[in-house]
Amino acid sequence: MADILCFSRNRCTSIEHVDDQTIRSTCRVQDNLMDAYVEIMVKLPDLELIQAKGEIRRSPQGTDLIILDDLQKVAGSRVGPGIRKIIGSIVEHVPYAESVATLLDECCNGVILSFARDVFLNAPQDKAGEKLFFANMVKANPRLYNSCAALTPDSPLMESLELDKN
Amino acid sequence: MLKFTRNKLATVYRKDGRTLAVHGVLEDDIYGFEVDLDIGLFNLEILAIRGKWNRMENSECPRAIPFLQEAVGFRMNEEDFTRKVQKIVGRKACRHFADLILECCQTAKDAATMILQEEGQEKPPDIEIDELFGKSKPAISVQEKNHPPGPEVTGGMVIDLHVHSLPASPCSTISVEQLIEQAKEIGLDGICLTDHNHLWAPNQVEDLRQKHDFLILRGNEITTEQGDILVFGLEEEVKGVIKLEALREKVLQAGGFMIVAHPFRGFLTFGVGYLGLTKEKAMARPVFKWVDAVEVLNSKVSEEENSFAAQVAAGLGLPVTGGSDAHGPGEVGNYATRFPGLIQNEQDLIKALKKGGYSPVTFRNK
Ligand SMILES: [Zn+2]
Ligand SMILES: [Zn+2]
Repeated sequence: MADILCFSRNRCTSIEHVDDQTIRSTCRVQDNLMDAYVEIMVKLPDLELIQAKGEIRRSPQGTDLIILDDLQKVAGSRVGPGIRKIIGSIVEHVPYAESVATLLDECCNGVILSFARDVFLNAPQDKAGEKLFFANMVKANPRLYNSCAALTPDSPLMESLELDKN
Repeated sequence: MLKFTRNKLATVYRKDGRTLAVHGVLEDDIYGFEVDLDIGLFNLEILAIRGKWNRMENSECPRAIPFLQEAVGFRMNEEDFTRKVQKIVGRKACRHFADLILECCQTAKDAATMILQEEGQEKPPDIEIDELFGKSKPAISVQEKNHPPGPEVTGGMVIDLHVHSLPASPCSTISVEQLIEQAKEIGLDGICLTDHNHLWAPNQVEDLRQKHDFLILRGNEITTEQGDILVFGLEEEVKGVIKLEALREKVLQAGGFMIVAHPFRGFLTFGVGYLGLTKEKAMARPVFKWVDAVEVLNSKVSEEENSFAAQVAAGLGLPVTGGSDAHGPGEVGNYATRFPGLIQNEQDLIKALKKGGYSPVTFRNK
């Protein structure tokens, strides 16, 4: 018997730097039950959310368009480590709150990743250079230390950091 | 200009009558990897997991793969399922893998609901995990006793104004008892419990003080749309996210004190100036209009983020404090605040905070 799919979900997040002050981040999800998107506009240098909008085009309730007006309440907050909790409170009374929160969260996460991309673009390819690069990154951002398998105290990438500590 | 894309695909098919097979793929500008999960159709338990990198961030990322097994046995009905995946798989393995696993699990859950509905099957009842702790009771006012000062108060008192304990702060991994013991051990004069949106009952804290013969004060770290604020002297449980202006009003009425916690956390991850944030622009942030002081030493942020906060506070002429933001063992007292006078209870603390003359200090590793 062929293993025919019974469910499939696609989620696509894309981040555009509209100009040197403005970032647009969009996340769209499509699956058997739902088709929805959220779009945010973020301003530099504070990563302040200036606009947020979204729609649910198809849901278990049917194909009546649901416009997510309430998302605009996020305006004024900043994309950063505390944003998840703020999103949680904003979507509280929005239909399909959990799904909408995930979309908004993905948009914010994407903004951060778009900056991380530039950083890793400049990471050296050779082993020694790589060690130095990551040791310096962790030194500048101590919360990254031991934050994943590659940055544990016994990881080769953290060798030079250990030396510095002694 | 398109700067970044992340695509996630999660697909589900029925492996057998009781098991869903879920395949997940993540592709973005930085990472590329896949996971395969077996998930129980009825109990939504992760039965098996396999993962593989296609493109990664650094040469040590493969170390994450064995730790994916930590997720086996987790059930989606458990109240803290998401947090467990983020905390355990995210930290031991890789947070991007944790992200894709959660996407797959969410998809599997929706698929299971759909399948069971279509087949008219009743889902066996889930065993709900009891909440770890009940809602904290409204504060009962307890007469605060004055406690004899610790042995070395001649140079003022050093108090860690920012600590988190489990279970009051679910993100913490250290109990309040352990926190107190460690604080005493390293010679702090006191700590202030600032659990997230949690109001400690005064008598509970009084019991802890007597038991440990140590100064324990109560504060609260409250989430606002403008970030986290350490609040002192507010006898009110604030849940969820409150507008900073509304919080300000409450605290003023209560005669309390507000300190903006780690104001630039995460903003200098990519280096000063990367986002174009200048001291002048930062000083104009609305949050600084509504607080009494700025936390400029916090051990959960980078040195740059701390020193930037100090520059901004100096520019605004706001008082500055330090606190560890301890969330685990060995962290309490990383930073603290030195007060010139004697502090024996919460009224003293608030008076001292309003009076000024205190300073943030590096304590544990000085
Ligand atoms: Zn916390
Ligand atoms: Zn904190």
